[in-house]
Amino acid sequence: MDEKTLDDIISQYDAPSGRLLGILGEIQNRERYIPRELLEMLSAKLKIPLSHLYSLVTFYSFFSLQPVGDHRVTVCMGTACHVKGAAAILTTLEQLLCLPEGVTEETRSPVTTEDNAFTLEIARCFGACSIAPVLRVDNHLYGYATPDGLPAILEEYGWRKHED
Amino acid sequence: MTDEEVCGTKGALNQVTVTINGREYSAEEGEILLGVAIRENVEIPHLCYEASLSPSGACRLCMVGVRKKGKTEMTTSCTLRVTEGLDVVTETPEILRHRKMLLELYLAEAPKSEVIKSLAARYGVTKTRFFKKAEPADPLGNKCVLCGLCVRVCNEIMGGGVISFVNRGPYTVVATPFFGENPICLGCGACAQVCPTHAIEIENPGDERIMTSWGKTRVKLRQCPVCGKYYAPDILAETIYAKITPPLSQQIQDMCPDCRRKYLAKQEVLVKSGDFSGGNNHV
Repeated sequence: MDEKTLDDIISQYDAPSGRLLGILGEIQNRERYIPRELLEMLSAKLKIPLSHLYSLVTFYSFFSLQPVGDHRVTVCMGTACHVKGAAAILTTLEQLLCLPEGVTEETRSPVTTEDNAFTLEIARCFGACSIAPVLRVDNHLYGYATPDGLPAILEEYGWRKHED
Repeated sequence: MTDEEVCGTKGALNQVTVTINGREYSAEEGEILLGVAIRENVEIPHLCYEASLSPSGACRLCMVGVRKKGKTEMTTSCTLRVTEGLDVVTETPEILRHRKMLLELYLAEAPKSEVIKSLAARYGVTKTRFFKKAEPADPLGNKCVLCGLCVRVCNEIMGGGVISFVNRGPYTVVATPFFGENPICLGCGACAQVCPTHAIEIENPGDERIMTSWGKTRVKLRQCPVCGKYYAPDILAETIYAKITPPLSQQIQDMCPDCRRKYLAKQEVLVKSGDFSGGNNHV
């Protein structure tokens, strides 16, 4: 994103209060993450301390400071999904995406595959407990998920099984 | 800044009578109750209160019971404004239970803090049921209780905005952006000064100050031309001198507080003794 685009976004949010989340949300949507340089530029333009912006960005799970892959896979680890076997879903996804087992829980932040195709992350509750366990790929929700059904879901997003 | 200015009560200084634990005290209307208690030596434990900052109510230790219509309601005394006839009690079984629980949580949050340990011990809390924080690389030495005083003093008094809360929930910490050096830090050390648990570390090796807890931010120190002592961060001195009108003479600006005091006292003596020539040639 260039400086001009950032200025355009800022001008759309002229309200003196509550505009920060709007601007940051727009950056997140366009870039699919919030680059450090843009955060620093925004701080200088709005005359808001960088620490304040960093605080907001690290608070809301919607924002990411790391580049994310083409598709974002979010596994719900809320109470209902957990009981219905979300842990097995997560482990299977890590295996399918060739990520080290347990890395998503350990790092507490989204993990991206080497080919930049998928980003795997966990979330607490989607509010879709009735169809637990549930996962989300980009903006599509998949309920009643089973470990066996995962390859089919991933294939919709261009995933192919690795030939051993 | 005075209490009145911060609390916005200047001009409305009505004297009122408040009752704390059955004893009457006189106070100004709109004053913070905890401030009254501190002035009158009534003990109310607190961590996040500082008279010169806006009320926050973060640490929850200063809970008192407000008696109204035969009922007692709990509220934080650091956010409670005094009104005529206010009647509070500082220790009820409910408040004590609440405090003990909080202290147990603080023991888990800041297990290395001696301040928390001794405060908890005063309420008979020596153990915690909760998982103790044990972060070997914690720049705040597992002593931070997240009361937010450092963040508030940096924002409100120094106008710095160097540090802020980072992350959320159990992973919340106070840090600089990206946990790195922050070039806008003046090195004033107000954060360490207000920290109730002495969690913030600052080192002064030679000609620089290192804000160890804040991403090892380095600030150059200013040397006194008279005694050679390094006495204050350069950038802090510049910021403060820029606010003084009319400006101080360069000679006075450069000196450390000790040498400045001696210099000015000497001038005073010379003026009083009628020797007007000697002072300016000094140093």
